[in-house]
Amino acid sequence: MASSATPLGSPLGDPLRRPNIATGDVQLPAVRDYEQVDREIIGTLHPTVAWFIGLGTAILFLIIGAAAWIYQIYAGLGVAGYNPPVMWGVYIITFVFWVGIGHAGTLISAILYLFRAGFRTTIYRCAEAMTVFAVMTAGLFPILHLGRPWKFFWLIPYPNWRMIWPNFKSPLVWDVFAILTYLTVSSTFLYVGLIPDIAVLRDRETNPVRKRIFAVLSMGWRNTDREWRHFARMYLFLAAFSTPLVLSVHSVVSFDFAMSLVPGWHATIFPPYFVAGAIFSGIGMVFTIIIPLRKWFGLKHYVTLNHLDAAAKLCLFTSLVVGLAYITEFWVAWYSGNKIEQEYFWNRVFGQWWWAAWIMLICNMVLPLSLFSQALRRNTTWLFILSIFINIGMWFERFVIVIPSLSHEYEPWQWTTYAPTWVDYAILAGSFGWFSMWFLLFIKQLPVIAIAEVKEIIPPKMRHGHGRHDQGVEHGGIANPLTAGGPHTTGGTH
Amino acid sequence: MRRNWASLSGLFAVAAAAIILSAYSGASSPEGNQPQQPINFPHPTHVKTLGMNCLYCHSAANKSPDPGLPAVGTCMGCHLVVAAQKPEIKKLAQYANSNTPIPWERIHKLPEYVRFPHVRHVSAGVTCQKCHGQVQDMAQVYQQESLNMGWCISCHLENKARYDCAVCHY
Amino acid sequence: MSETPSSTGVKRRDFLKILGTTGALAGCNMDEPGKLIPYLVSPDNTVPGVSTYYATTCRECSAGCGIISETRDGRSIKLEGNPDHPVNRGALCAQGQAALQGLYNPDRHRGPMIRRNNRLESATWEEAAALLAQKLRDARADGSASRAVFINEHESGSFPAFLDGVLGAFGIPAHLPYHAEGDTGAAMAHQEAYGAAWPRLDFSAARLIVSFGADFLDGWGASVPQQLDFANARAALDRAPRFIYIGPRRSLTGLNADEWIDCKPGSELSIARAVLGVGGSAADAATQSGVSAERLTRLAAEIAAARPNLVLASGTTGSGGELASAVAAFNRGAGNVGTTILQGEQIVGLSGAATYAEMIDLVGRMNNGQVPMLFVRGVNPVYSMPKAAGFGEAMAKVPFKVGFSSYPDETSALCDLVLPDHHSLEQWGDAEPIPGVLGLQQPVMDPVFNTRATADVLLVAARADATIAGRFPQATYRDWLIARFPGGASAFAGALTTGLARGAPARTTAARRAVPPAAAPTGIEQTEGDFYFLPYPSPTLGMGEGANKPWLQELPDPVSKICWQSWVEIHPLTAQRMGIDSGDHISIRTSVGEVTAPAFLYLGIRQDTVAMPMGQGHTAYGRFAKGIGVNALDAAPSVLDPRTGSFLPVATKARVTKAAGHSRLVTTEGSARQHGRGIARAMLASELGTPKVEHGHEFMGDASHAFLPGLRAPVANDAQGELGSDLSASKGMYAPDHWSGMAKRRWAMTIDLARCTGCSACMTACYAENNIPTVGAPHQGPQLFPDRTGAGANITRSREMTWIRIERYFEGGEHGENEFEARFIPMLCQHCGNAPCEPVCPVYATYHAPDGLNIQVYNRCVGTRYCSNNCPYKVRYFNWFGYGEPDRPQYAFPEPLNWQLNPDVTVRSKGVMEKCTFCVQRIREAENRATVEKRAMQPDEFTVACAQACPSRAITFGDAAEAGWAVNELIEDRRAYHVFEELNTFTAVVYLQKVNHPAPGSPAPAAAAAGVPHGE
Repeated sequence: MASSATPLGSPLGDPLRRPNIATGDVQLPAVRDYEQVDREIIGTLHPTVAWFIGLGTAILFLIIGAAAWIYQIYAGLGVAGYNPPVMWGVYIITFVFWVGIGHAGTLISAILYLFRAGFRTTIYRCAEAMTVFAVMTAGLFPILHLGRPWKFFWLIPYPNWRMIWPNFKSPLVWDVFAILTYLTVSSTFLYVGLIPDIAVLRDRETNPVRKRIFAVLSMGWRNTDREWRHFARMYLFLAAFSTPLVLSVHSVVSFDFAMSLVPGWHATIFPPYFVAGAIFSGIGMVFTIIIPLRKWFGLKHYVTLNHLDAAAKLCLFTSLVVGLAYITEFWVAWYSGNKIEQEYFWNRVFGQWWWAAWIMLICNMVLPLSLFSQALRRNTTWLFILSIFINIGMWFERFVIVIPSLSHEYEPWQWTTYAPTWVDYAILAGSFGWFSMWFLLFIKQLPVIAIAEVKEIIPPKMRHGHGRHDQGVEHGGIANPLTAGGPHTTGGTH
Repeated sequence: MRRNWASLSGLFAVAAAAIILSAYSGASSPEGNQPQQPINFPHPTHVKTLGMNCLYCHSAANKSPDPGLPAVGTCMGCHLVVAAQKPEIKKLAQYANSNTPIPWERIHKLPEYVRFPHVRHVSAGVTCQKCHGQVQDMAQVYQQESLNMGWCISCHLENKARYDCAVCHY
Repeated sequence: MSETPSSTGVKRRDFLKILGTTGALAGCNMDEPGKLIPYLVSPDNTVPGVSTYYATTCRECSAGCGIISETRDGRSIKLEGNPDHPVNRGALCAQGQAALQGLYNPDRHRGPMIRRNNRLESATWEEAAALLAQKLRDARADGSASRAVFINEHESGSFPAFLDGVLGAFGIPAHLPYHAEGDTGAAMAHQEAYGAAWPRLDFSAARLIVSFGADFLDGWGASVPQQLDFANARAALDRAPRFIYIGPRRSLTGLNADEWIDCKPGSELSIARAVLGVGGSAADAATQSGVSAERLTRLAAEIAAARPNLVLASGTTGSGGELASAVAAFNRGAGNVGTTILQGEQIVGLSGAATYAEMIDLVGRMNNGQVPMLFVRGVNPVYSMPKAAGFGEAMAKVPFKVGFSSYPDETSALCDLVLPDHHSLEQWGDAEPIPGVLGLQQPVMDPVFNTRATADVLLVAARADATIAGRFPQATYRDWLIARFPGGASAFAGALTTGLARGAPARTTAARRAVPPAAAPTGIEQTEGDFYFLPYPSPTLGMGEGANKPWLQELPDPVSKICWQSWVEIHPLTAQRMGIDSGDHISIRTSVGEVTAPAFLYLGIRQDTVAMPMGQGHTAYGRFAKGIGVNALDAAPSVLDPRTGSFLPVATKARVTKAAGHSRLVTTEGSARQHGRGIARAMLASELGTPKVEHGHEFMGDASHAFLPGLRAPVANDAQGELGSDLSASKGMYAPDHWSGMAKRRWAMTIDLARCTGCSACMTACYAENNIPTVGAPHQGPQLFPDRTGAGANITRSREMTWIRIERYFEGGEHGENEFEARFIPMLCQHCGNAPCEPVCPVYATYHAPDGLNIQVYNRCVGTRYCSNNCPYKVRYFNWFGYGEPDRPQYAFPEPLNWQLNPDVTVRSKGVMEKCTFCVQRIREAENRATVEKRAMQPDEFTVACAQACPSRAITFGDAAEAGWAVNELIEDRRAYHVFEELNTFTAVVYLQKVNHPAPGSPAPAAAAAGVPHGE
């Protein structure tokens, strides 16, 4: 959209606002003109039976989880599988898991935007929505695992009669800020990116009520150059603003562990290790979502194999980083000469938790190596299967961090084991239900592919011979300054 | 101009949230609670008219964490003869004769997790009125002070009393 | 609470007294102001909210320790040892502490009961008394009284004489003083050899202690005084006596020994003969006992060399009373009598108990229908005698059976008339702890239920009978006691303040029926079976009398660390050979019966022996006892010792097979090895001279280890050493010169591992003082084989709430050898000066008080449990359920157990963290007292509950920042160390290393090695 400013003729000199280049790997040969873009993408918005079934299932899971939580609040945390000194369990594991998922979205939509990686164009909207909903899900768990959840607000600094503040030394308080910030910024970013598309929906909408709602949401977007210029700035700044969050948020989450002196937690490697892991898991989840989506919505010619290929390379890279982190952890434990640390890591891989550790190592380190093969990178079936393994592997990474450490600490007399109960599982399932519910609602209300951005990267020739068309084309096509911007854009890129 | 409005609304939102939270946090105090007692005991008559000391009835207040309530026997000590015909005293006599203690409605109540040793406050010269209000003027006793934590702490700070959490909470 | 009294049968009058106080019963919820209930007539010399202390005598066992009951607003809330008492000298064991839960037991009989149409139906005292009087009168009239039998719990004091007096008046022969756990065999042997049934054992005077299965720390004789003396002896360090334990199983006493000689059951006598030089060669002793001959010769030499020494023998080992006599004879010969064996200060309470033979004789007579009337008071023979003895069946043949038991136990269930006795804390009485001293027993509160003292019931019956009424001028037993008390009423009243008086109780003159000597049983070797079967009385539950008290059920067995369960002890190598895993069910079949229980793999037992604790497997006895575990006695034959007529539990072999099923052991043990982490450290007596190695300044940020507790107020910034931030120079309330003055103090504790025997009395004391809920295995209540599934799982998911726990670590024996060492270490909140739990709490629910306490503010806690994750000592406990909320299945204090709750301590609510507070309520109370009395606090003016109870005097508490407190010297001891010192936690709990005494000339065991923590 930066290119949208080109009608003013000035932008090409401005490196920040160089257009979103349609490099060779992101050409969309099958997409001919803007009208087709509007028609096909907006066409995905009509609810189907399958969608209703999916939504129903999601809500069912959500209800199961909610019921389990209510029961837990009534009866006490004892109904979950905690086994002192294992005082954290499935809830914290799942919390970290969902926060991690979120990161890929921001990485793709913000960082890759700044790096002008064209392949992000068709997948970023989906990834970003995933981010928002993942963080919404994650945010529930810190409250959910409290002994007295109705007192959670004591973690928030506010003036009170007791003249007591939260303990700003505690990583858990940092968490509160990190998560809230991340939720605010990423949802703002998502919404701002949506504005031009909402405008298109508004113009295409026939139902007056929906039309009105879209009108409000699009903030009266009129596609004027001034709007596009401000939009471009805004979007750029938001991208720049969210970029550090990708690093900071999960670093803070990792402090929950790194700041304690529990063997296996007390490690300076945790922040980079967690960030890489987060992005890795996020991309896994992106594959899990986008691959079925492009099939069901018939968007294969938008989300092309080139895009997946590029994303898969990113996945491979983060997997290597994570693998390195695993190995480093073991090396550090050995090198530290600290017997307790060494015993703990031995126990992690060959002790009572060997199976979890090996699930983690195989899913996150070994299987992704297959992505060195281009054939597999372009094989959507394999990518999908792999992404499932990655999701499982990353959940178990957090399991391996939380459970074995706590069950095998300094005091041998207090070495125990851990086994979740049905309540843990129900709430875990509920979190997936909650996430899926929001995502399913999203994909049938708003475009999962950024219409405006796609228009930027399709070949310019489509302007000719499309004189007469319905309203939609009037707005989506002719009235859209992009049509004017097209040739300049490409011209600029030649 | 419009920008100011926007920022203002934001401020309002934050302020509202803070107020609600702080209100919630302090809302636990039954300030002003004035229940109907089984016997309408007039403190003014006993304290001001007859000039009785609080410790005559609440005899443990300077010996014990609990102030103590007068036993029904203590009341009857005087009221066997004094004003025996008054309806309220008749009620009292009824309780005494039927060997049932008087179920006074409790007014001043701290949560169970707060320790308030009366003896230390009394011996430190804190007057009863400081916490219980001008009981000698109350025809029907009510809770005058909020008795919430902030209120305690400020008094402790004024009077250089220890204000560490574990002085009261354990 | 206000509806319950009628429903629970709690007496209204007492109940109303309860409400006079603001008891901390509702936990962390700000509930609506309720009612204020005043006294009707204020009791003299009591101030509401201020405790009154009554000195009385503990009747949980027959030793007769002196106790002081703290009574607040009409309820007894805590029992503590009476410091002036000659027997327990201020200490009190777990069973004594738990007497309160007998007093407030929710399953006590609510009132008298009469059997009508074969059901026990509640009746009024008038009906019951009338029935009793009439039956007695008839029996006296028709002479059948001469064949009636009264079984009474064996006790010292005047009551036995009084009882025989009343019985005699009705023509009933003298009562049977039965004591299920008492070692009558040893008592008899002692009587013959020393002239005292249970002399005081002066361990300090001995240079060597040898015990043939005599568990003087857990049940053999009077545990508390013996433990006090033993601990004092061991505290002499390099001059302490070495201790050798001989027996097939290493009991708690055995684990405290420096050497364990694992002989076959029944071979103790041969060993004794060999090593004590009273005939018998080492060679054939070796063949019989399975112990190598050279080891026995070495032992003989050692015993010969170490004079004076102290050799003890139980009368209930496989060898029976003959062993006890042989050993007693040796002691007399070796001149130990008078030096290590002080017959002058004997424990009177352990003499004169009826032998098992008399009980068996009674069973015979009941079977022959020779017993028209049976009275049972304070004992439960139907349960505590082996099933094979058939007491229950025989008792059923008695036409009229009267039970005085206060609890619905197996025996009173068979009775026709139940006249529930007062609890010992509710009635008058006296005891004779040592000769010439009278321990008085007075009610510490009004009766909880509609019960009556048996003595008074008998008096009423006697006075109702015109012909004998004249002999009983006094209307009550109290008057009777006063009447014969030297100095009369005034002297009596005066003596009550200390609970002690000089003088002797009434002595019974009536002679008990003589019993023909029993025939010699078949030797243990002749019985068929592949394993020796060794049932033993549980150190916590005894012979089952403790099983209805949740504190004792929850108290892990000091050896196996298992609670709320029965188990079978089997050697790991044997288990391996039989393919048995820990928790697999094992069934033990003997000639008389079969029992099945999960396996506990224990190093301290012979490979050809299986052992099993008694005390569980009740078929009645209330909600906390019924249906938990199995009774080991069901498989034990009823064997009499021909010499002493006492019961020989260890008398048979058994067929041991792996049974179907597996259940998780309800254990508080994680790993029994410390993996060289230097938690429970020990040193050799020979090392005591060597200078102490000081660590410190070994790595950056490590503060000077001059920072021992007490040297200055612990502020985390101080602990940062050179990395401390200048910005936090202003310490506010944490500055010693701050006007609050709190930072002048540093509460600290030392625990002497050379004294600690692992008896676990401190744990129960802590439960009593701090309102700690008992949580049960799956939940409170019966479960034969608990598992960890189900939402209620508690200890099966290690959710016990013990603020102080005793860890039992093993050193050596990794491959199943029997040379291993056990180390006990009490672990509680260390109140670190630089606590890891504090910075991670997001809401300051846990923080550091200026006086050095690590505080947990329950009402601020939101339950993130991060503090527990970050605690290296794992001493923080979380309220997983509403243990303190009456409407919960997990409620730990069903009415009237909640009467015992300490009003000074908050009952924690669901979802908050809790832990040891160093009894902050006692600290505040002492501070308040001092302030109100306008004086400074005196050193050692008060102490914490665990230290107060400890029968080894291992725990010392005090202000380490002020000179004069005992703790102040001890933290500088040469043996002092901090656990996990390398973590820079600067704990306020300082441990003093255990001291080991290896055999002369033997290579040093792994002790010193294991003393080294990993960080160095």
